[in-house]
Amino acid sequence: MVLRKWPLLFCAVAAALFAPLYLGPFWLSLLMQILIFGLLALSVELLLGHIGLFSVCQAAFFAVSAYTVAILQVKYGQPTIVAVPAGLGAAIILSLIYGIAVRTSGVYFILVTIALGHVFWGISWTWVSFTNGEGGITNVPAPAVGSLTITSHSSYYYIVLAVVALCVVGYRTLTRSPFGLTLRGIRESESRMRGLGYNIAAHKYTAFVLAGTLSGIAGLLYIYFNRFVSPANAEFFLSIEVALMVLVGGTGTILGPFIGSAIMLGLRNYVSAYIDQWMIVMGLIFIITMLWTPDGVLGVIRRLGVWGRTSHNQPGHRTPTPEEGK
Amino acid sequence: MDQNAVEVAGLTKAFGGVRAVEKVSMKVPVGQRRALIGPNGAGKTTLFNCITGTFFPTSGKIFLFGKDVTRLAEHRRTAMGIGRTYQITNVFHDLTVLENLILAVQGNSRQKWVMHRPVSAFSGSLKRAGKELDRVGLTDRTHDSVQHLSYGERRQLELALALASRPRVLFLDEPCSGLSPGERQRIAEIIREFPQDITVILIEHDMSIALGLADQVAVLHRGSIILEGTPDEVRANPEVREVYLGKV
Ligand SMILES: Nc1ncnc2c1ncn2[C@@H]1O[C@H](COP(=O)(O)OP(=O)(O)O)[C@@H](O)[C@H]1O
Ligand SMILES: [Mg+2]
Repeated sequence: MVLRKWPLLFCAVAAALFAPLYLGPFWLSLLMQILIFGLLALSVELLLGHIGLFSVCQAAFFAVSAYTVAILQVKYGQPTIVAVPAGLGAAIILSLIYGIAVRTSGVYFILVTIALGHVFWGISWTWVSFTNGEGGITNVPAPAVGSLTITSHSSYYYIVLAVVALCVVGYRTLTRSPFGLTLRGIRESESRMRGLGYNIAAHKYTAFVLAGTLSGIAGLLYIYFNRFVSPANAEFFLSIEVALMVLVGGTGTILGPFIGSAIMLGLRNYVSAYIDQWMIVMGLIFIITMLWTPDGVLGVIRRLGVWGRTSHNQPGHRTPTPEEGK
Repeated sequence: MDQNAVEVAGLTKAFGGVRAVEKVSMKVPVGQRRALIGPNGAGKTTLFNCITGTFFPTSGKIFLFGKDVTRLAEHRRTAMGIGRTYQITNVFHDLTVLENLILAVQGNSRQKWVMHRPVSAFSGSLKRAGKELDRVGLTDRTHDSVQHLSYGERRQLELALALASRPRVLFLDEPCSGLSPGERQRIAEIIREFPQDITVILIEHDMSIALGLADQVAVLHRGSIILEGTPDEVRANPEVREVYLGKV
């Protein structure tokens, strides 16, 4: 059984475009969260799937842009057109600073990013005069450009869809570029890359900042969706959850993080109706994934041969022949 | 041009208390084929690693084309024209053969920073990659993942990666290790056909290959050079004959 890729993609696009017509408010809201957190997970995938760096501080970049927008709009009465670039700028600046983490590798990188993530969470919690501490910032207004205000969920959905689609296209371009290939080379052999003339630290740092920027974009989408931001959005727990989305969905593809996001958020909605302890369920998912499906749901599908692929080379990572390049 | 491609002066590298390389001095003129021989643990690979910049020496100086590079980062030395292969095959296992080559080709160019165009848009790189694969005889493996290559083919790829960055000095660390006699001859043939202006420094245990390819030979023993000379002089030296060549 081999599914054709293009008809499938066409159906997915059509389903996404008409979603507000057939989905009720609850499901539409869930779909938006799946897209937003899928984008956040994609930033984890850029580092994990390409360089092999497991970053556990993406929530910090997500939250810093959300907080910046919330503070500028609510406390300083700034318009969306000012708040959004500022939010993105804040995420970029924070990732430029946190980028020092790439000087470490392996388990030290994980530990350093946990610590860096925690620092930001701590600030959001304790700097009460600025962030309202535990209570967070409420009543963020709907995004508005000039006289146009986007109040309904279904119209905001199209903004989310458009931004996520743009990011996915950009991500795909990046990973197929010479720079993207470089990242995979670093994952395979740092020593060889150095020997071939690459300044490894510079490439890792750039990728880290790009991933931070992507997380920041997810944060921007989130704040106008949720209209409320609190330290919970900067938590270590969120960073772990999105990393888990990548592992559950499968690394090495663009679709994986979004599938992981759908599974995790779907499960959370379902499970929390019966059990309070989502954390326990998440821990179990983590263990099951690591033990039985280390390459995620997409890996399982691929192994079953649905897409007729057996090689480890991911779709989208194929490099054309010298003849094709002429 | 009677410049030295590589000059090493009083080079020492210690790992803790072990002096893997001790006060080595050596000059390799541009275009020379230099063999470096000596028993296992003599410090040959360590000497390579110091010159190519994998790590810094404990003391002593290193010059490339007359420029002091003792404290220069490895990737900058590559940019100056160093290429190398590794004793233990060091290639990109999860990528295709072509992707391996492209990484080597773009290593010294700005192309490695391009993010907005696909690799396939760089026809010049693809052509060069194809040419290097042709040179080592891996053309029919272009699209295969390295995982599916035989050990011998990986050694050929190892060589192709070093050549693809267009080095002026090439350091080959036991390119024939682990290969069958037939495969060794093939690698030796590839090395012999390198352009004459490339300086080659070769570590090789197979004496007939090492001495067959070299203009000059240096014998390393316990971290120090104990003899330098032409292949004939090295062959004739009784001590070397006894210890390294075996009694012929
Ligand atoms: N990275 C390292 N750390 C510690 N000791 C090393 C390292 N590399 C080499 N050595 C030691 O240095 C000595 C020389 O090794 P090497 O240069 O690999 O010899 P050769 O290549 O001539 O066989 C050996 O005793 C080896 O154990
Ligand atoms: Mg060695």
